Amino acid sequence: MIIGRYYIDHKSVVPKIVIGALIALVAIFPLFTTNMVTLSIIILSGIWAIAVMGFLLILRTGQFSLGQAAFMAIGGYVSAILTVKMGMSYWPSFVAAGIISGVIAFIIGIVVLRAGGIYFSIITIAFGEIVRIVAMNWESVTQGASGILTHAPESLTVGNLEINFAASVVPYYYFMLLLVTVSALFYWQIDRTRIGGTFRSVAANPVLAEHLGINLMKHRLIAFTVAGLFTGLAGAYYVTFLSVMNPLIFDLWKSVQIMMMTIVGGMGSIVGGPIIGATLLYTLGIYLSRVPIPNIQYLVFGGVVVLLLLVLPKGTGLVDQWGKLWRRVFGEPEDFQMPGEEGMDEE
Amino acid sequence: MPLLELKGIIKFFGKLAALENIDLQVNKGEILGIVGPNGSGKTTLINLISGYYRPTRGTIYFDGRKISGLRPDQIARLGIVRTFQSNVLFEGASVIESMMISSRLQYKTNEWQAFWETKAYKDEHEKIVGNALNTLRFVNIFNETFRPAAALPHGFQRMLGIGVALAANPSVLLIDEPTTGMNHEEAMGVVENIREINKQGVTVVLIEHNMRVLLNIATRVIVLNFGNKIADGDPHEMMSKPEVVEAYLGTETL
Ligand SMILES: Nc1ncnc2c1ncn2[C@@H]1O[C@H](COP(=O)(O)OP(=O)(O)OP(=O)(O)O)[C@@H](O)[C@H]1O
Ligand SMILES: [Mg+2]
Repeated sequence: MIIGRYYIDHKSVVPKIVIGALIALVAIFPLFTTNMVTLSIIILSGIWAIAVMGFLLILRTGQFSLGQAAFMAIGGYVSAILTVKMGMSYWPSFVAAGIISGVIAFIIGIVVLRAGGIYFSIITIAFGEIVRIVAMNWESVTQGASGILTHAPESLTVGNLEINFAASVVPYYYFMLLLVTVSALFYWQIDRTRIGGTFRSVAANPVLAEHLGINLMKHRLIAFTVAGLFTGLAGAYYVTFLSVMNPLIFDLWKSVQIMMMTIVGGMGSIVGGPIIGATLLYTLGIYLSRVPIPNIQYLVFGGVVVLLLLVLPKGTGLVDQWGKLWRRVFGEPEDFQMPGEEGMDEE
Repeated sequence: MPLLELKGIIKFFGKLAALENIDLQVNKGEILGIVGPNGSGKTTLINLISGYYRPTRGTIYFDGRKISGLRPDQIARLGIVRTFQSNVLFEGASVIESMMISSRLQYKTNEWQAFWETKAYKDEHEKIVGNALNTLRFVNIFNETFRPAAALPHGFQRMLGIGVALAANPSVLLIDEPTTGMNHEEAMGVVENIREINKQGVTVVLIEHNMRVLLNIATRVIVLNFGNKIADGDPHEMMSKPEVVEAYLGTETL
């Protein structure tokens, strides 16, 4: 675990120029192909990555949430109900989805975070199931198992550019990029500044942290609420992209997948790990869904995760391994710049 | 008015009475030594003051305000900070990282300013990193600044424990056996540290097995035995009381 970088100086392992080039490539990708399948895979990988970042933020405080898909469900239902049942336009419903999901996370957090540890994980599983059961049975609002058919966001006009979501998948692509960028920046900034360090201390040694004046509950609650907010937004995106919302989309298996994506990507970087983990596993899932063997996805995903846990050093994922490889090839990032370093020579 | 006051404190663990009816006053500016054989309830006393445990009965006041029942973080924020008898660390953190976590209470800027890294936050942060480095210099582990705390030898970890507690801005410092397992030189460094900390205006409660250390720096000593306070007074006078010597006999070198 690295806390000091966050306090003193923070230089990314991978140089800015490489990251910049990657971002630029992603940004102009629709110029190369507008293939629906290819773009859809990238789009949904990005959306899952947002949920995975949330999972990882909660994990930073030492809590293992197995109910994160439920917040996507909440965001999805809020948007679907507001637009289809109440005639609201998509954009305000999208914002409302994030806010309501965040508020629910806050309230649920007050109740379940008291438990902590393994109890927290179990209660979050139960929470996810409760959301699913409510969605299934509250037919007057959610239309039960048959679900709600949603529509595309209203067209936007920026300057004299008309952005029409009904016409092509490209606007969805850029909407996704914007959403992932904003979420990632927010998560990244939390993770690398003071509060991120505090989160880690809460996980590393809650007793010591508490004796140093850190309010454990407050910090766990902040992480859980922020994750709930962005995960809700991801859910609201998901349903308009899929054009449907029903109780089966975000089940326990999806929450487990979010955890698995975290493991595959690794926990070093709150942005890089989730993006890589989500992209790899989501893409793998798409290909597996074409294999005519029942339950193959469960088997392969489970196998991949177990293998990684066995092969890779504890707590690291692919991103961290690549980081190590990168450092071996290109050298360490520049070291700390200590404040008051000048004065040290006289000792 | 005493700075810290324990009234009728009783602590049971199941049927075991770790503390039986303790009344204790800690005055501002003193170094109060606590001695007593193993299992006499010294650490339990600190655990109660710091809020780790709640007393079974009795009340603790700080500056006239009731603090028993508060959480440890609330008590720490009031200025009562403790160290631990065993080396307690942040898993995976370096020395400076551990210091920065415990420096949290020094920040005046709020979470939102820190998130946006405003100028006020950055200035403050730089100052607090400087404080942390100075504290490391003070407790004699400056050369270990960037090492993982868990990789330090035992003695250095004990010193880090004190440094970490100091970074949390205590007005009362509760120190639990700081010199155990240290060589003579290290122990003397710690003793000097405690004296200096106290000189800066911090009230110190010090659990220490080594009587020589206590005689050296404590301004008052209490003796615990089987959860009871059996003596309270001047350290040198204390050593002439038969019941104290008896409680101590065979447990430590006087
Ligand atoms: N959490 C606990 N649960 C049960 N019993 C406990 C607990 N903490 C302390 N005790 C018991 O309370 C008594 C006092 O323990 P305490 O740790 O306060 O002693 P101490 O004076 O600090 O001893 P030492 O010199 O060995 O550190 C002991 O009998 C101990 O076994
Ligand atoms: Mg003890």
